[in-house]
Amino acid sequence: MLRTIASKEYRELLRDGRFRWAGSIVAGLLLVAGLAGFTAWREQAAQRDAAQATMQATWFNQPSKNPHSAAHYGLWAFKPQMTLAFVDRGVDPYTGTASWLEAHRMNEFRFRPAMDATAAQRFGEWTAAGVLQQLIPLLIILLGFSAFAGERERGTLRQLASLGVPTATLLRGKALGVTAALAVLCVPAAVLGTVVVTMSSGASGLLRLGALSAVYLAYFGVILTVTLVVSARARSARAALVTLLALWAANGLLVPRVAADVAQAAFPTPTAREFQAQVQRGLATGIDGHSPSGARADALRDSVLRANGVSSVASLPFNYDGFSMQRGEEHANEVYAHYFGQLWDRFGQQDRAQLVGAVVAPVIAVRFLSMGIAGTDFGQHRAFAEQAEAYRQEFNRVMNNEIRDRARADESFSYQADSTLWRSIPAFTYEAPSLGRALATHTVSLVALGAWLVLAALLVGRERRIEVA
Amino acid sequence: MTTATASPLLEAHGLTKRYGDTLALDTLHLSVGAGEVYCLLGANGAGKSTTISCFLDFVRPDAGSAMIGGTVVAQDPIGTKRRLAYIPETVMLYGNLSALENLEYFATLATGGRPVRAELAQHLRTAGLTDAQLEQRVGGFSKGMRQKVGIAIALAKGADVLLLDEPTSGLDPKASNEFHRLLGLMRDRGAAVLMATHDLFRAKESGTRIGIMKAGRKVAELRADEIGHADLEQLYLTHMHD
Repeated sequence: MLRTIASKEYRELLRDGRFRWAGSIVAGLLLVAGLAGFTAWREQAAQRDAAQATMQATWFNQPSKNPHSAAHYGLWAFKPQMTLAFVDRGVDPYTGTASWLEAHRMNEFRFRPAMDATAAQRFGEWTAAGVLQQLIPLLIILLGFSAFAGERERGTLRQLASLGVPTATLLRGKALGVTAALAVLCVPAAVLGTVVVTMSSGASGLLRLGALSAVYLAYFGVILTVTLVVSARARSARAALVTLLALWAANGLLVPRVAADVAQAAFPTPTAREFQAQVQRGLATGIDGHSPSGARADALRDSVLRANGVSSVASLPFNYDGFSMQRGEEHANEVYAHYFGQLWDRFGQQDRAQLVGAVVAPVIAVRFLSMGIAGTDFGQHRAFAEQAEAYRQEFNRVMNNEIRDRARADESFSYQADSTLWRSIPAFTYEAPSLGRALATHTVSLVALGAWLVLAALLVGRERRIEVA
Repeated sequence: MTTATASPLLEAHGLTKRYGDTLALDTLHLSVGAGEVYCLLGANGAGKSTTISCFLDFVRPDAGSAMIGGTVVAQDPIGTKRRLAYIPETVMLYGNLSALENLEYFATLATGGRPVRAELAQHLRTAGLTDAQLEQRVGGFSKGMRQKVGIAIALAKGADVLLLDEPTSGLDPKASNEFHRLLGLMRDRGAAVLMATHDLFRAKESGTRIGIMKAGRKVAELRADEIGHADLEQLYLTHMHD
């Protein structure tokens, strides 16, 4: 019976010119967005690999120079993007994926794609995730709004309701029919995506693709159920369409915008200028490695002299400048960890606050899960930034300790190290969180989407009687 | 002609339905046995369609009960619907599907099985469609042709209860005559038929019993073979003018 209803719905939809037009446009957009995203991802990956290799060779081939100069010369850390970033670019365009690592400073990320965006791009860039989160639900609404309301208007619902088919069976059958029609549109893009992911990242990529597909299928299931239930209860097809379009706008546009604004108001973050001022104030309260005359520097010097039983830094058994620069780095590290930690925690609070909106707009939960699985959420940006910062601190420590241990007291800034030192610094590698860890940070989103699915199932179960007129 | 059996297939016991301040049905009692055609006559708003809607569970009565085969409809709407076929004033079908596809769809849903296509085609022929019409999309079908598909659905379903709501309204005399021929076929197969109609002539010709309704109440009930056309018309008009 289920198959009969589904088959008839499917057949009718395929014969409907509106479906062919709307479906072709959405399927085309999905394919184009996917292909464009993948092309951009591949180009960026190639550029990143080339830049990483060039940067590493440049670092290794530095001429003999003072280690502190080398520390200022610095290194770059590039965030490798997972293959699924071509589906969902997440926060990467806004946070950037390249960080310059140098002495004394923990820099913000550079070369953010959003900074280079044209005016037109600022109105929104279509990605595969955008199509999946916004346009496919719209297509589902266009396919399903008249499933019951249209039949009621045409009078066929009376005929159907007189046959003794349980309402839930009718609802499930119609859902299956619309799903089959949608599958015709989405399967080509899904197959292409699977091939691309398999070729680019093998089994781990397929696992993530599977998780991403499950999230979007659950989301589409919720949208489809709501569409059919509204259609079953609406007085007319027009009323069903208007109601569903209002729900679509609320889910996709209004609630996420309001949730983001409320989150920003509840957990405000400083402007970039304010943030820099905060960090500078934090640094000014301590030593920075270039201010030996500062009070903290004086206190440090006096305690070191006392501990070693000498009266001048020249008599110390190590180079005091190397030592004090490292102590300055450690103080600055604490300052940066404090302020960046505060800022990132605040972003985390904003994310959690936005999730409250998932109670009325499931797309919010889907967005977080999609970014998490694609490796482009804020949590994974933070993981990368923290690993890059740990790397920066370590290579600065090696440079400072080289001066401390090898330079004489009078040659702190004239001491020359060679490529042996540069080559002792291993290349930076980023260890991305596993899928399980990435999803664990989105437990609330998973619960929210799960709750929507349960609600959808309950709605289907509760639909016992359909008004025929 | 088969005579009515002792145990009725359709029963209404004190059926009452109110829409706001309007009393659509007022403690209606009636019963229709197998092989019997019960015609409900009455003006618009008399409660004929509401009575049929109660048997279909499209409308839940405020009091009383509608029963099919001894089962209260409201208690087992799915089960009772499996025994009946419904033909409204205009049988609405899926315009994008052919007559055979429509019948196949409705028959599959009605029986829960997979009907044989050749048998379905035969039902459509019995109902009066030509072979060429079987494969035509019903979007361009006349009302009479649609009613024939409705009869074919009833035949395919093997329904022993027929609920007809003004089925010949708007049909030309030839099509109306053809429809009543098919109705006789169903009656002779032992179906219990409840038909709401304005057509006094057809009620007298095809009906076994006739009930006259006014403002939700059954004001008269008589056997069709005990009254002439003129007397029926006179009786009807008398009640309508009261």
